[in-house]
Amino acid sequence: MMIFFLQLSVLFLMIIIFNSFITNIESDQGISLTPVLNGFASVDVQDQSGLISKYINPSVINVIPSNFSTSLNNIALGKTTGFLYVPGNAAEKIRTGQSIDMIVYLDSSDPKSSVVRDEVNSTAKVISQSYSNSLSASATPQNTTIPTINQVSTGEPLPLQIIKKVMLVILLFLPLLLFGNIIIDSVVGEKERKTAEILIAMPLSQAQIIIGKSMAVALTISLQVFMWLIILLIAGFNINNPLFVFIFIFLTSIPIIGITTVVAAYSKNYKEAGIGLSIVYIGIVGFLIVPVLFYISRKSFLSNISPMTIVMRLFSGESISLPDYALALICILVVSIISYWIAIKLFERDDIIFGPRPGILRLIFDLITFKKF
Amino acid sequence: MKLSALGRKEGQDILKNKIYLVVILVQVFILLGTFGLAIASSIASDPTLLDHYGATSVLKVGVPDSIHNTQLEADLLKQNLNLTYYKNISTAQNLLGTTLVAVVFVNPPGGQNVTVKTDTSNVFYPVVSTKINKAVSEYQLQNKLVSSGLNTTEINRIMNPVNLQVVNLNENHHANIALDSPYFVEIMYGFIVPFILLLPFFLASNIVTDSIVGERERKTFEVLLMTPISSSMIMLGKTLPILFFSLIQSVVWIILLDLLRVPIYNPILMFVILFFMGLGFIGLGILLSMFVDSTKEANSAITIILVFATFILFMPLFIKTSYFTPILNFIPTVIMVKIASTPNININVIFSAVPTILISLMIFVFTVRYFRRERAIRL
Repeated sequence: MMIFFLQLSVLFLMIIIFNSFITNIESDQGISLTPVLNGFASVDVQDQSGLISKYINPSVINVIPSNFSTSLNNIALGKTTGFLYVPGNAAEKIRTGQSIDMIVYLDSSDPKSSVVRDEVNSTAKVISQSYSNSLSASATPQNTTIPTINQVSTGEPLPLQIIKKVMLVILLFLPLLLFGNIIIDSVVGEKERKTAEILIAMPLSQAQIIIGKSMAVALTISLQVFMWLIILLIAGFNINNPLFVFIFIFLTSIPIIGITTVVAAYSKNYKEAGIGLSIVYIGIVGFLIVPVLFYISRKSFLSNISPMTIVMRLFSGESISLPDYALALICILVVSIISYWIAIKLFERDDIIFGPRPGILRLIFDLITFKKF
Repeated sequence: MKLSALGRKEGQDILKNKIYLVVILVQVFILLGTFGLAIASSIASDPTLLDHYGATSVLKVGVPDSIHNTQLEADLLKQNLNLTYYKNISTAQNLLGTTLVAVVFVNPPGGQNVTVKTDTSNVFYPVVSTKINKAVSEYQLQNKLVSSGLNTTEINRIMNPVNLQVVNLNENHHANIALDSPYFVEIMYGFIVPFILLLPFFLASNIVTDSIVGERERKTFEVLLMTPISSSMIMLGKTLPILFFSLIQSVVWIILLDLLRVPIYNPILMFVILFFMGLGFIGLGILLSMFVDSTKEANSAITIILVFATFILFMPLFIKTSYFTPILNFIPTVIMVKIASTPNININVIFSAVPTILISLMIFVFTVRYFRRERAIRL
């Protein structure tokens, strides 16, 4: 029950995070995933006309009206990151169509000087563009032919894809990685509680024990994934083909349970299993996520080796060809067969269940030479 | 003496536990991984840095053969774009989204109107888009001015009406930063630094539950309570080694970040903030340990608390809300960002850390007092 509560609270927090990210992204003109830091850097400004300073983005830069000598002193004392000097006659120059020369003084000892430089540069560009347009409008006759620029965009912006697709697919796969402890408890727990002997003495084969335990966990995971999907759909997430998404996540859980069972079957105790599981799960997460990111940047066929890519494509409503499905399914099948075979073989060995446990190198040697294995 | 003996025993327990040592290793990977990602994404999203590192070959733009020796070609080349020429522009358009990031062509051929097609899903889309926009804007304005019969001086004045001169001061104490990029500075100081420095304290909460609930499970806690050590001493003996273990890790991460050329300013102030935050985290861990029966239950509960702590500490760094601004200044991670990134810290920032220090102290003192009363034995 505790684990279920934990997972649901994680899900609710993630939904809030997603929504705030998407709101931020969709409300901003420029799409980025950088932190929103109020007053991260500060800049003193001497701008009597007030024409320039009002364009500086106040959400990152704290704009402080000041004068030349005070501001240079503030920079020397490290009280401000930069100082923007706009000539006093800027408004007059704009009126008479003359160019404006601004100076920005930056404190090189402050790492945030690049943030101020970038912001002041962007502001200067915006003003320059608008000023340039008004100058050209007044300098050229009205019947002058102007080349038109037609801009056409295709595809979804990358940050939006990362938030909407990658984070959602990670969320959908989360239950698969949260149930590792149940498998550990189910296999290592039997060893620690010394009930493994009784279990082995029962009229069941080792294969039946391993598969039986794995099936119980797989069913629990499927229930969790089902609940997860319902909550996400209620929360307004756009998930196309929910049934196929569910089936693919469930299928992916089978090899993951198999790999976890291998770790559990080999481990002596909870602690050892915990370390093993952490390391193995880093590898599994990498194997699942890297092809997804690769698919987003370059839509290559090999990216479909990760079932996560297929799930992402399924809920995005993309059409998926049969070879793409086949690649992911073959991967699931091969990893499942190998992992369950190793887990069963390990569970069949008395030296692993009751000790003294052989080392990993010894086991690999036995596997290569077909001894005992 | 008794306190140091207990502290030594707790310290040895931590260092003997393989899982904690593995977690330290994992933190090194997280630090190096996030640093590498920040560097890569900063270069990929910054036109100046891409030009600087000569990585413009990835900015592939398809153009028709007919663009050769035209003003548009000159403007596009001026932006260091990698132009690929096609006899038939429809071939280029078919490659958009795979080989090409954008396609630029004059429509109809021989005319002046420009069509720009871009693939927004490409990693380099922001840079390519910025560069193309600049090139076509210049092309558009220049065409307009030339056709109106203005001379070169007039055209230059209209095209560059605002000049910005950058003057760098304090060059002798230039910040030793790995990448002089606004994105890099914002992502490193604005998220990665507080995240990395707080990671050891997230781990500390787990160690503390293991230390108390573990003793209870092994039935050694009653023996410890029977020894002639006061409850406060037991608490200190259990918490100080964990606190120092976490603080040492954070200090090592500060040194490692310095070596990676992400200088952490005001390290002593940062140490003080981390010390009190550590006390708060450990206090929460102890409090929790008194309400659970097993390590498994404690781990689940601490994970819930850490999820909420992560939410409270890190979400304010990413959410833009005007009415929460006054509160944001008192969030510990926001204070950490300001302390770490500012060579000369403002006194107001130090004052804004007072609530964090007081709350952490209160959690710890409340926990110790509660422990003295209950002695954490649940029968």
